[in-house]
Amino acid sequence: MTRTIIDVHILHTVPPSNLNRDDAGSPKTAVYGGVRRARVSSQAWKRAVRLAFEDHLDDEQLGERTKRVGEAIAARITNLDPALKDEAATLAFDVLKAAGLAKKEPKNGTQAESEYLLFLSHRQQQRLAELAVDSARAGKAPEGKAAKDAANREHSVDIAMFGRMVADVSDINVDAAVQVAHAISVHGVSNEFDYFTAVDDRKHDIQETGAGMIGSIEFNSSTLYRYATIDVDRLQETLGDPAATKNAVQAFLLAFALSMPTGKQNTFANGTRPDAVVVQLRDTRSINLVGAFEEPVGDQTDTAGRVGLAAQALADYTTQVHQAYGDEPVEAWVTHVGPRTAPLATLGTVLPLPGLAEAVASKVAERIGGRP
Amino acid sequence: MSVLLMRLAGPLQAWGTRSRFVHRHTEAAPTKSGVIGMLAAARGIRRTDPLTELLEVSFGVRIDQPGQVIRDFQVARTLDGRTSMPLTYRYYLADAVFLAAVSGGRALLDGLHDALTHPHFPIFLGRRSCPPAGVVSLGVHDGELTERLATWNWQASAWHQREHKSQRTVRLEILRDAHDGDPITETTPDEPVSYDPTHRQHGWRSVVREHTDVNNPLFRPITDHDPMDALEGWSCT
Repeated sequence: MTRTIIDVHILHTVPPSNLNRDDAGSPKTAVYGGVRRARVSSQAWKRAVRLAFEDHLDDEQLGERTKRVGEAIAARITNLDPALKDEAATLAFDVLKAAGLAKKEPKNGTQAESEYLLFLSHRQQQRLAELAVDSARAGKAPEGKAAKDAANREHSVDIAMFGRMVADVSDINVDAAVQVAHAISVHGVSNEFDYFTAVDDRKHDIQETGAGMIGSIEFNSSTLYRYATIDVDRLQETLGDPAATKNAVQAFLLAFALSMPTGKQNTFANGTRPDAVVVQLRDTRSINLVGAFEEPVGDQTDTAGRVGLAAQALADYTTQVHQAYGDEPVEAWVTHVGPRTAPLATLGTVLPLPGLAEAVASKVAERIGGRP
Repeated sequence: MSVLLMRLAGPLQAWGTRSRFVHRHTEAAPTKSGVIGMLAAARGIRRTDPLTELLEVSFGVRIDQPGQVIRDFQVARTLDGRTSMPLTYRYYLADAVFLAAVSGGRALLDGLHDALTHPHFPIFLGRRSCPPAGVVSLGVHDGELTERLATWNWQASAWHQREHKSQRTVRLEILRDAHDGDPITETTPDEPVSYDPTHRQHGWRSVVREHTDVNNPLFRPITDHDPMDALEGWSCT
């Protein structure tokens, strides 16, 4: 059987920003190659990708992660049959209870909630609502088996991509088909502080000086190396439909390249586009190329040309890895901005991003289309 | 006996044994259950499948570059951002390199080496967000696990070896499964029995801590003190 694995490598420069904070409000960091690096956690970027999916996929293909599933399903029940409006909350709880997803009977006027954040696709919510309506019309309680089945088929793209874990109903768990690494900067960073004072607008008429409040915001700026890998075979297993898999891959490439966590974005307006995107289709295993930056690129004071140095380092290292292990990708594509990142053009076919996503998706369709 | 050697390296790794609820800890070195789980994933064994022959192997690891523990603070929110879930603290090992080894029958280990080079499920270093950097399998070799771990060349990154350039040899710690009659250093709940999510089971694993001295390939003997050395290649005339 042919394996299909998609590796995505992105170089992405952000100006002073604080995309992803720890509990003290400092931008997250890590240590690599003995040097402190800026870090954006994988979970932060995955959330940004899930939100960006809405621009690239239909609502039918998406899901939502919420505790307030009762509310979502009750609304759908009322849509299906307005006559059931008054019982909708109870019916929603019954069907969730049958599936093992809710335990506590909602009190008067409240809606059923799951014990923890629950990831259901919009299709799955709809089917649970349909089951509740059918059971109500037949005058019996919904069956556990049917309810579990409704929650475990027609997975949305984001569930198939990022997985679902339900601790106490483990038979509806879904294994993620995508790995996203924490993004780290290709150079050393030290966080900086922006000391600010806020002025009270009404104090100018009296002879009072001084600030209304003071504080400081931490930030850093960095060129990030971002890596994700899609296991297309696992994705196909979960989605069960080659057309859906093709769309999912295409949507993921666009969403991963164009999304950005929203942390402090109004303060820093740091919405940049990637400097370069390299996508490789492999048939052996995924290869993370972060080793290209174990020796930090440029020193901290030399920011000029950092992107160019990073592009060169990534291009050289990729070639070295392929030579050392004979692990050439089946095919590769590159989107890059301007001459600074030109060294990466040698790694694959150069295309603008929409064309790249299109090309990768059709290649994926070609490889999985032959299988049932 | 044969030994499969693996280089476990990457910006981040996480090897938990005792995590409870919202604090997800990591040990200072890869765990047996973590590495066996990674091998099982590479072979395409599902969590609910029996581990059969993987339960038979002996495991050991050498700490070639200790790295440091970093803490990641994580929140989980609903898609609309209105509900927040308990805050979690995840600990990672950053910047570490390990030499891990499993020993067993030749045929089994050859199969595992193939699985690592063509994994069925994508492999990762303890958490899905920690893909390995570089190549994991260093191949299958004849011999005993203890002897292989004691003598295999130092896997640390060049920058780390340079930091120790004044030392001809470096002393590395080894944690390995105890044999009968070994003085046991510690026991940890780290003997994999089943990864089935409904009843994950671990037995107790007896561990021996030893150390070994390996050569530093970047050793540069310190010659007579020459203050001009710092200027690399400039000579006073």
